[in-house]
Amino acid sequence: MSNPAEMTAGVSAAVGGGHAEVSLGITLFFAALLIAMIVCLAFEEKLHAKKSVIVGAFAVATLLLAGLFGLLPFSEMDLHVGDADIHLPVYIPAIDWGVIFIILGSSLFVDVTAKSGLFTWIALRLTKASKGDPLILLIAYGSMTVIFSAVLNNVTAMIIVGSLTGVSLRRLGITDKLLGFLLVEALLTNVGGLLTLISSVPNIIVGNEAGISFMEFFTTAAPYVVVTSAVTIAMGAKLFGIRRLAGAEEKAEAARLVAGFDENDGIDSPFLFWFGGVSLIAFIVVIASASIPDTLLNDLGMGYVAISFAILALIQHKATADRFYREIDWDLLAFFAALFIVINVMEHAQVLELVGRFLIPILDLGETVGPSVLLIASALASSVTDNIPLAAMLAKILGGLDLAADSPYWWAVIFGANLGGNITPIGSASTLVAMTIIHKSGITLSFVGFVKRAAPYAAAQLLLAVAYLWIAV
Amino acid sequence: MTKLDSFESIFKSADKPVYAYESARFERVLVVTDLTDTEAENLIAQLRSFLSVLGDTPVWRHLGGEDFTTVGRLLEETGNAAPDLIVTYRHLRSEAWRWPHGLGEYLETLTQATDIPVLVLPHPDADRALPHAIANTDCVMAITDHLTADARLVDYALGFTADAGTCWLTHIESRRQFEHFVAAVEKIPEIETDDVRELVEAQLLKEPRDYIESCRRVIEAVGLHVEIKAIVEMGDRVAEYRRLIEDHRVDLLVLNTMHGEQLAMQGQAYPLAVELREIPLLML
Repeated sequence: MSNPAEMTAGVSAAVGGGHAEVSLGITLFFAALLIAMIVCLAFEEKLHAKKSVIVGAFAVATLLLAGLFGLLPFSEMDLHVGDADIHLPVYIPAIDWGVIFIILGSSLFVDVTAKSGLFTWIALRLTKASKGDPLILLIAYGSMTVIFSAVLNNVTAMIIVGSLTGVSLRRLGITDKLLGFLLVEALLTNVGGLLTLISSVPNIIVGNEAGISFMEFFTTAAPYVVVTSAVTIAMGAKLFGIRRLAGAEEKAEAARLVAGFDENDGIDSPFLFWFGGVSLIAFIVVIASASIPDTLLNDLGMGYVAISFAILALIQHKATADRFYREIDWDLLAFFAALFIVINVMEHAQVLELVGRFLIPILDLGETVGPSVLLIASALASSVTDNIPLAAMLAKILGGLDLAADSPYWWAVIFGANLGGNITPIGSASTLVAMTIIHKSGITLSFVGFVKRAAPYAAAQLLLAVAYLWIAV
Repeated sequence: MTKLDSFESIFKSADKPVYAYESARFERVLVVTDLTDTEAENLIAQLRSFLSVLGDTPVWRHLGGEDFTTVGRLLEETGNAAPDLIVTYRHLRSEAWRWPHGLGEYLETLTQATDIPVLVLPHPDADRALPHAIANTDCVMAITDHLTADARLVDYALGFTADAGTCWLTHIESRRQFEHFVAAVEKIPEIETDDVRELVEAQLLKEPRDYIESCRRVIEAVGLHVEIKAIVEMGDRVAEYRRLIEDHRVDLLVLNTMHGEQLAMQGQAYPLAVELREIPLLML
């Protein structure tokens, strides 16, 4: 569907279709609840409440109200799987369990693999290979941030690279460059988060809805990620005056200082180390294979693959598996489950159709300007509130338009939702982690200070994304 | 513990001080005694044999009891001589050596007022020296509760170890202090006591072990003909070192006494210097 007029008509038909007639008053009432939830999420820190509690409260309230208004039945839903009848409460099928299992499985797998010392080994080897030269270190840490964000998740990547940055720059006596390093790394987590389908939650949500395969996602996003990473690192080096060491004496001293890092210190068992490395490569290959159509893995889905690898990794720690369960981000998982319920209620209340109508002017701009405007709008929205509800809502709306998997609109949402996190420190979880490390290091950086420092990078990244949408997608 | 803390801990643990060897040099040795000239000559002859590891390079000078009558005068004479090593014993110009409860005003001031290493011999009249004392430096032991990154201590211990001798690098954590810390942890419900006991003890002992490994690698690379042995454990320092001196027939103990800008002797050095009177001590 490429004709803007057809797409505009499609918005109404898709998101509103199939539901009972709902009065405008009820739709507006539920829209107000959705806005209230987004505002509460934006002020999460001020409310001293976890995301899961905020969205959970709205899920409970909106479900009850939807039942009272007759939008959803209170009775159980019947599912027929083969000869078996399964009875489920209405809110259970509302949750996208595929997404939940991808996040649960991959985070468990990554946590267990991290315990093998693999990621810290890679990080320390790179540090030693840089011989303590600040510019080479910035390039190494920047590249590592991108790859770790792609393979792990952007929060874990920021934690690993950020904590190493603090330790190594203190060792080298160049803590005056710490802010520059941490800022560049924070901004690269969201760029690295664009590399694969499973690198960030908006990718998973939008990619699943769009039907973009793992390999399609990677080949489309990789050129942008490479160019933008190089530009971000170059800007960081220029703006923060991070240069190569000049004298032979300086170089020798820096090399001596980083030589003290022992990359084997965190490896308790060589077997687990190698097992972690091999299983990580296998995980990426199998996840990529799961996107090949008409295969058993494709039918089982990426969630199955992620959980299988998590279980395989946990077998190596069978006696202490409960320690890893304690480290799971249950707040994030409960947040997703509750969010899917809220989105489902909003769909039945025809709030998504209402929001879709606001997209009509953007869609009317055509396939060149339209996606660019959607990208910038998504980025601005993601910079002040959680990008996951935004991605979930837009994915649902775009899903009703019968767009092709390679439509620039999907990519506009993916780029916007990820890169928007670089505009403000609350725009993404990884920039929040970066702020924590910055403050922990004794550097004063306010909200506005971050926005001012990050603005040139965020602008460059968004401009490159818009140009990339025009040229390549 | 958050993931951030967890990774920070991993990287801090991996950031290990690397030992860099620097040969300790001795060109002037000042022997300070309150002996008669003949007794002093005999002592210096014995010292030349005992410290044959220093070779023929050092110029030996004697400062007798008549050369100083006050602590101020001793410091002045020491300053004029500008030695690389002072050799003396406890309770100069005093009868207090009969009661093993102190070092004597001259030695205490000398160790803290100058940064020149002081080799402290068993008192010549006290008859407390072990039979093998002041014979050679085949077995030298560096003693500390903070070996990690203390390159100077290791350099001096190596500098005094005879060719083909044994240099013990030791680190004894105070069991009493550790138990005091654990006792406080036991009263905090938010902290798992067993984990703290196990993990903190392991970490406290891991750091010096890693440093000794670093020393071993560097010494091997430099090609010093010295055997490095390690003792890293928890215990009561004075009792433990007394046992080690006897078990391994240690010829010389090397320890730090200065502590930054602090005027008094380093906390653990004083009881060791007072109580371990049977063999020579090198006080840095």
